[in-house]
Amino acid sequence: MSPRPDTVTDLHAEPALARTLLSWEPLGFDPLIDHFRIYAVRGESAPEEPQESDLIAKTVYPNVAHTDLDPAGETWTYTVLAVSDAGRRGRPSAPVTATSQPSVTATGREIATIGAFDGRTLEHHLAPTSYAQIPEEFPDAVIEYEQGADEPGAAWPYLLPGPGDAWAGKKPYRARWTLTLDEAPQADLDLAVWLVDTTRLGGILRVSANHEHVTDIELPVGSTRGSREGDATVPGSTLRRSFHEPALPAALLQAGVNVLEFELAEGGWAAWDAVGVFARE
Amino acid sequence: MPASAAPASATAAAPAPVSRRRLLQASGASAAVIALGITAPTASAEEGPQPEGLFSLGVASGAPRPDGAVLWARLAPEPLAEDGHGGMELRDVTVRWHVAKDPEFRQIAARGQALAQPELAHAIHPKVEGLDPATDYYYRFSVGRQNSPVGRFRTLPAQGADVESFSVGVVSCQAWYHGHFTAHKHLAAEEELDLVVFVGDYIYEYAITASNLWRQGVEVGPAHQVETETLEQYRLRYALFKLDPHLQAVHARVPAVAVWDDHEVQNDYVGGGSSTGIPEDQFAYRIAVAYRAFYENMPLDIEALPEGPDSDITTGFDVGSLARFSLLDTRQFRDPAPMDAEDQQDPDRTMLGAEQEAWVTERLEQSPALWNVMANGVVVAAITEDRTDMWDGYPAARQRLLDAMVASSNPVVLTGDIHKHVAAELLADFTDPGSGTIGVELICTSVGSDGDGAKTDNYTDDWTQHEYVKHYDGRRGYIHLRFTPEELVSSFYVVDWIEADDTAPKQLSARFTTPAGDPRLIQA
Repeated sequence: MSPRPDTVTDLHAEPALARTLLSWEPLGFDPLIDHFRIYAVRGESAPEEPQESDLIAKTVYPNVAHTDLDPAGETWTYTVLAVSDAGRRGRPSAPVTATSQPSVTATGREIATIGAFDGRTLEHHLAPTSYAQIPEEFPDAVIEYEQGADEPGAAWPYLLPGPGDAWAGKKPYRARWTLTLDEAPQADLDLAVWLVDTTRLGGILRVSANHEHVTDIELPVGSTRGSREGDATVPGSTLRRSFHEPALPAALLQAGVNVLEFELAEGGWAAWDAVGVFARE
Repeated sequence: MPASAAPASATAAAPAPVSRRRLLQASGASAAVIALGITAPTASAEEGPQPEGLFSLGVASGAPRPDGAVLWARLAPEPLAEDGHGGMELRDVTVRWHVAKDPEFRQIAARGQALAQPELAHAIHPKVEGLDPATDYYYRFSVGRQNSPVGRFRTLPAQGADVESFSVGVVSCQAWYHGHFTAHKHLAAEEELDLVVFVGDYIYEYAITASNLWRQGVEVGPAHQVETETLEQYRLRYALFKLDPHLQAVHARVPAVAVWDDHEVQNDYVGGGSSTGIPEDQFAYRIAVAYRAFYENMPLDIEALPEGPDSDITTGFDVGSLARFSLLDTRQFRDPAPMDAEDQQDPDRTMLGAEQEAWVTERLEQSPALWNVMANGVVVAAITEDRTDMWDGYPAARQRLLDAMVASSNPVVLTGDIHKHVAAELLADFTDPGSGTIGVELICTSVGSDGDGAKTDNYTDDWTQHEYVKHYDGRRGYIHLRFTPEELVSSFYVVDWIEADDTAPKQLSARFTTPAGDPRLIQA
C-alpha cells in the first residue's frame, strides 16, 4: 500500500473580487495525488473534521478559486486535504479564513452599465458563438455604443477582438461607449470590467476617457473557449473569468456627453461579462 | 527511447514556484509497489468475498511478442462508482490468470497470479512469457469463483520468420457520447484480424452534457458532466467508455497497441503545456494523473507506467520479416504551436523530441522488415499551413521523418485525429510536387467523434485539393489492413449512422492496394 498523503500545508487565502483564491504547498508525485478536496464553511470557524456536505471543490492542482461569491463580499473558512491514487486521505490542513473583496458593483451606485454582471456573455450581440460576424459587421474595427439608445443584444458584440486574432483581421478593435452625465462628478468614479474569458495570448485592454488614457488592464491568459461558450457559471466550465475595477478619475469626466473607449491593444480577444460605471457611496 | 521531457519553464506557481524538473526528481518510489500488478507476487493478499461483476470492463491483451503478451483486467463491480475505484474496497485482491491453447482451457500453457491494488484502480498487467510464436492462445482471469470473459491473442511470428499475412484493425477518436461504437462491432467480426492499433483519443476529457450527448438510449449522471481533471475523473471516464460491449469485443478478440493524442489529457495540450492557460508546473499534476489512468486502462507493458508527468509509450515490434511497427508519441515531446510563420519554419522545431526522433530514424534505417509501419497521433501529409497541430506545424521535423522513411522499405503511416477517412501518398518532399512518392499514410476516421457524419463536408476540399490525397470520407468507421509479402490491402469501412443505435451495416468506402516495392495507393 502506498503511503498516506502528507497533510496539506501553507494553505493561503487571497481575497479577490467575487471570489477567494486558495493555494497550498504541492505534494509531489509519491504517492500520486488523485486530487485535493476543499471544504468551506461560512464564517470564521470550521469543524475539526471536514464534513462532506461542506465539500466545495476537488482539484488536481495545488490551488483553486472559490468563485461566484456575492459581489458584496463573503467570509468563509477553508480546509484542504489530499487523496492518493489508492484512495487514502491525508489529514486536513489547518483552517484559513478569508473574506472576498467587495465589488463596486455591490458597494457603488450604478451610473451606467452594459450587460449584467452574471458570468455570462449571453445577453450580448452575436453571443455565444457567432464571432465570425464581428469583422463583417465592424470592418473598421470600431464598435459604437450609445447609452440609452443602444441595447447590448443589438450593438455590443460579446467579443472585443485584438491584434492576435487572425479571424478578425489582426486589428486592435475599439469599443466606444458614449454616455451622458447630468453633472461632472465631484469624486472619482469606479469602472467595473468583468470578463467571462480571454485567450491563451492574454493581452492589454487600454481604457481611455474623453481621449485621455485611464489605465491599461493586463488581460490574463484565458481558456480561449469564451468565443464558443457563453456561460461561465455552469458546473465544470473551463472559462477563465477575470474582474477589473480601476478608478475613473473625476477630472477626466464632464457634464454632458462622455466617451469611454476600450481598445484591445495587444493580444487576443476579451469576452465581455459586463462593464459599468459606479459612484462611490 | 524517450526518457524525459524537456524542462518546463518556471511559470508562476502559488505559493511557492516549483519547476517541473524538481517535481520529477521527487517522483517514482511507488513503482515497486505497483509492480505487483504485473508479475505474480509470491504471497497472496488476504482474501475475502468479493462482489459480483468484477470483470464488468472486460479483458484485453497487448504488447504482443513472439513468446507472449501483456494481459489486462481491471476489477470493477461498480464500474461507474464516482471515486474511480469501481466499487472495490481499498485493499489488495489476488487475481489468477490462465493461458490455454484452447477456448475450453484444457491445454493450459501458462498460469500465474497478480495483485490487483487500489493504487492502480485494481488494474493488473501480468506479462505472459514462454509461449510459442505465431500461435493462438486463450486467456481468462479469476477471483474466487468468478471468471472473466475469455480473451484471445495470437503471439507474433518468430523474429525473422517468413509470414504469409498479417491483418490489422486501425481505430481512433472514441467520443463515446457522440454515438454507438458500431465500428468496433464490425471490426470485432472481421474474419482476419491479428492486431488492433488505437491511434489516439481513446477517451475524451470533455464534460458530457445535454449538448454533446448524441448517443441515444443512454444517460449520464453529474459526475460525468465535468471536464476530467482528477485521477478519479479520468478513471471514471475510461470506465464509462470501456463499458461499451463492442469495444470490449475488440479487446477480447486480438491484442491491442495504442498511441495517445491530446484528448487522453486535454484538447490541444502540447508537451507540458496546457491549451487553457494553466501554468506548466501545475499542469504537470494533471498530466501525471491522465497518463496514470491511460496506463491503468490499457494493456501496456511496464515501461509505460508513468513516473509523475513522464511516461514512455514509444515502443515497437516486428512481425517476423514481414513488418516492423513503431508506435510514436506525438504529444509529450513536441514543441509548442508556432508563434508565427517564421517560427513554423524553424528547422529546430521538433514533433518527436530528439531522443524519440533518433530512435525511430534508426529503426527505419536499420529495419530488415518489408513493411515499416508507424502509428502516430497526427497527420504527416501536408494539407494546409494553418493546421499547426498536425505535422503541418512542424515542417522541418516532417522532412526529417520523410528522409528517414526514404531509407527504409515500404513505409506506412497510420494516423487518426481528424475524424475522417483519408488515404494519402507521402511525397519525398512536400514542397516539391515532383519529388516522388515514398510511402502511404492511412488516416482513420473516428469510431464516435462527430456523430453520424457524411461522406463529404466543409473540410473535404482542404484535403482533396492535393493530388496525393486519394480518398476522403467523413463518416465513422475503421480501417482494415492486410499485409502480405506482395502487397498491402487497406480497406476503409464506414457506417452511415451511430447516434440512434448500433445497427448500421458496414460499407466499404474505399479499398487500395499498395504493391511492395512501389508504395503508392492503387484503387482496388
